[in-house]
Amino acid sequence: MNQPELIAQLQQGDEQAFKKLVDEWQDMVYNTVLGIVQNADDADDITQEVFIQVFQSVSSFKGDSKLSTWLYRIAVSKALDHEKKKKRKKRFGFVHSLFGGQDEDEQIHSVEFEHPGVELEKKEKAAALFSALKQIPDNQRIAFTLHKLEGQTYQEVAEIMNTTLFAVESLMGRAKANLKKELGNYYNNLKER
Amino acid sequence: MNNKENLDKLIDEALNSVDSIKRAEARPYLLTRIYARMDKGTESVWEKAGWFISRPAVAFAGLCLILLINAVVIVLNNSSAQNPIVEQTAQTPTDEFSYTVATIYDFENTQP
Repeated sequence: MNQPELIAQLQQGDEQAFKKLVDEWQDMVYNTVLGIVQNADDADDITQEVFIQVFQSVSSFKGDSKLSTWLYRIAVSKALDHEKKKKRKKRFGFVHSLFGGQDEDEQIHSVEFEHPGVELEKKEKAAALFSALKQIPDNQRIAFTLHKLEGQTYQEVAEIMNTTLFAVESLMGRAKANLKKELGNYYNNLKER
Repeated sequence: MNNKENLDKLIDEALNSVDSIKRAEARPYLLTRIYARMDKGTESVWEKAGWFISRPAVAFAGLCLILLINAVVIVLNNSSAQNPIVEQTAQTPTDEFSYTVATIYDFENTQP
């Protein structure tokens, strides 16, 4: 079944087509979201939300872009929404702590994130990289995640982010520079301990 | 210098650590969980309202608003209790311009 056929069937509410879509794209969506939110439980929740959103809004999909591009866009946008919610939650965390509660998010994210696809001997260094990734601006993080974790070309990243090839090259350059700076701070702090 | 070279090497290795990364796999039975979530997602208006009100930000803002309204009411009551003359002077013009003043019709019909 080619993509236009799959989209047409999805628009008719065909459950088999939806199953095929989920089977085919679930790892791609999960991996993208996991790279951004850096938490397996949250990534699982957001992956579900992405496919629910696809199911509900596929009727408005006009086929201007590739299905994968559309899925990436939804996944990235949902992951960023989740990050914003988490930041808002942290801001109000002090109210919760006034009543004797503990901030669950802080407990979860104090642990370093380990991506399951990283080779064993590189786990430690990758954990430092993921920690640095959290410190750089969202658009640089998205470009880096899509290119490095999902293996998308700069042109594909540009399509997903709805921007130009030149802008993606610039984003990647700045992302690498910022990551080097953050990693430098990370390793210097490690030495001082 | 040696330290800087070591640091640069560490940074480069960290940056390249995801070069041969494998795609993480979604947990099994994702489709089943998606359908379960879709079924669960049909909440009533009251459930949605309850969820919205119980959010810490909304609850805190609501509490602040109630406290603010109380404070304003108390301040206004105190100031009106301290200045009873204001009320009296406000009454005076209505006495002066009373409706019982004779009209032109009354003046014109003084004689039978």
